[in-house]
Amino acid sequence: MNAVISAKNLTKKYGKQTAVGGIDFEIPAGRIVGLIGPNGSGKTTTLKAALGLIPFEGELRVMGLDPRTQRDALMQDVCFIADVAILPRWLRVRDAVDFVAGIHPRFDRSRAERYIANTRLKPEMKVKQMSKGMIVQLHLALVMAIDAKLLVLDEPTLGLDILYRKQFYQNLLEDYFDENKTIVITTHQVEEVEHILTDLMFIRDGRIVLAASMDEVGERYVEVMVPADKVNAANALQPIDQRTVFGKSVMLFDGVSRAQLAALGETRNPSVADLFVATMKGTYA
Amino acid sequence: MNTMKWLLRREFWEHKGGFVWAPLIAAVIMVVLVAGVVGYGVSSGRMNGDSITVRVGGEEVHRSQMADLATRHSRTEMASVAANNYIAVGAPVFIVLPTVAFFYFLAALYDDRRDRSILFWKSLPISDSTTVLSKLLTGLVLAPVITVGIASAAAFLILMLAGVAVSAQGVNLFGPVLSNVNLYLSPLYLLAMIPVYVLWALPTAGWLLLVSSWAKSKVFLWAVGLPLIVAVLLKWMDYLLALYGSTIHADWIVNNVLETLLLGLVPGAWFMDGGTAMPVNGGHGVDLLSVLGASWGSLARPELWVGAAAGVAMILSAVRLRRWRDEG
Repeated sequence: MNAVISAKNLTKKYGKQTAVGGIDFEIPAGRIVGLIGPNGSGKTTTLKAALGLIPFEGELRVMGLDPRTQRDALMQDVCFIADVAILPRWLRVRDAVDFVAGIHPRFDRSRAERYIANTRLKPEMKVKQMSKGMIVQLHLALVMAIDAKLLVLDEPTLGLDILYRKQFYQNLLEDYFDENKTIVITTHQVEEVEHILTDLMFIRDGRIVLAASMDEVGERYVEVMVPADKVNAANALQPIDQRTVFGKSVMLFDGVSRAQLAALGETRNPSVADLFVATMKGTYA
Repeated sequence: MNTMKWLLRREFWEHKGGFVWAPLIAAVIMVVLVAGVVGYGVSSGRMNGDSITVRVGGEEVHRSQMADLATRHSRTEMASVAANNYIAVGAPVFIVLPTVAFFYFLAALYDDRRDRSILFWKSLPISDSTTVLSKLLTGLVLAPVITVGIASAAAFLILMLAGVAVSAQGVNLFGPVLSNVNLYLSPLYLLAMIPVYVLWALPTAGWLLLVSSWAKSKVFLWAVGLPLIVAVLLKWMDYLLALYGSTIHADWIVNNVLETLLLGLVPGAWFMDGGTAMPVNGGHGVDLLSVLGASWGSLARPELWVGAAAGVAMILSAVRLRRWRDEG
């Protein structure tokens, strides 16, 4: 029951196409989970199922509730940003704040107003007069002022410039996240979220290929800069990926002890992006 | 309850143009036109010309007879006719309503899917049935109430302008008109017809909401084109079957079912199909109270309830579609 989301054999088919093929996972409370996968891997489908937006097969509980039949109750405690800049064009900043304050029991108006005051948004402004980045700021201001137990972000910064992106994640981490909240993020810009994640979930072809905390990932995966004379010894340890930088081989190992690898060359923790590329090798082939 | 209040306000923010500005502009144009005519007539003195003939009670009377005619008794009668019928002047405003409401319902569950803002609305704790209900209330109750308000105000202003015009003839009707209780009851009679309007409009509102919730694009084409194609097919089948001396009663279906689907938002639709007789009161125009009575009398017609039930069924389907539709 302390799992915020738990899935058993979660399956979603579109006609004959299987989008999600019977996955099991658990997301405990107080984590920031990155759900990462290539296009069409089933990550958005998984999130939509958890948010009760689509029917599915198998078992899925979000805070103990079934999103299919108990969505109305669920949405009291869950919030999400499912796409970038989808606020209606006619909405005014002032009206948006009034509306959410009026209908959401967990909305903290002063919080939203404080956040908006730090942007270039004006109360009279309509969404159609805003840039994409400003729309996202307004959306985030509304969502961050909701004291939800679970926040789902599906590509929340797609198409924004780097200033807006950095600010988005900074606000999220500094002003929003605490140990009672859980955040699930999908994004293609892995390098921008990896420092805020506590857990990593890789999904490929509707299956979960890696689910681990960042600490476990740090222990399991090691990248080694191998000089030419030790390449054969290194290859014997079966690296999962290998590339060449300035004439040196950079090899990625899974579950080989750090001491053993240190003998082969300089070791370091791989970036999530490198790990992702290594794991997803051959996806589009 | 609180959620509903905010949802209605939301609809108002988005559709103020259609539900307030459109009838208001129609009303202003009417008042300005009448004011212009009256102002021109009074200031140029043409209304005093002997060439003017006035019809009173269906009889043409010459200008020179006006003073004789305007006895105390006839003044009261003229005032009574005016106070009872002035609201009919607001009719053009009531033509705006079905047009605006038709396109409102057609867009109600479609526009937010098209611009994907449905994903924002769905991220808030509002059930789909509450959302759809708020749209239904906006189109079938709030919009008619606003229309009645604007139409009554416009009709009242025009009545006052007419009073100015008649007083230029030396006949002052302000006193008897303003003291006639029907002047003030007329807007209330109109408001009292709204429940009847809601019931007759349910099938059309339901059909439009269903298309709005279901169609991936081209909602207007689906909402209007589909019934028309069905009508043509039915007529064609009837024509073929006639060769064998049989019929599927295509005309009956077209007149009853398809008109109910598309024209139910027109105020007083229950009079148009001839099912309920419009009470006509001799030369004194229409007595609004008997129109109200006849309107409520239309609740005895079974086809109203069949249509309303079908409307409710379509609305429930629209809610269901909105709940499960994958917006990609």
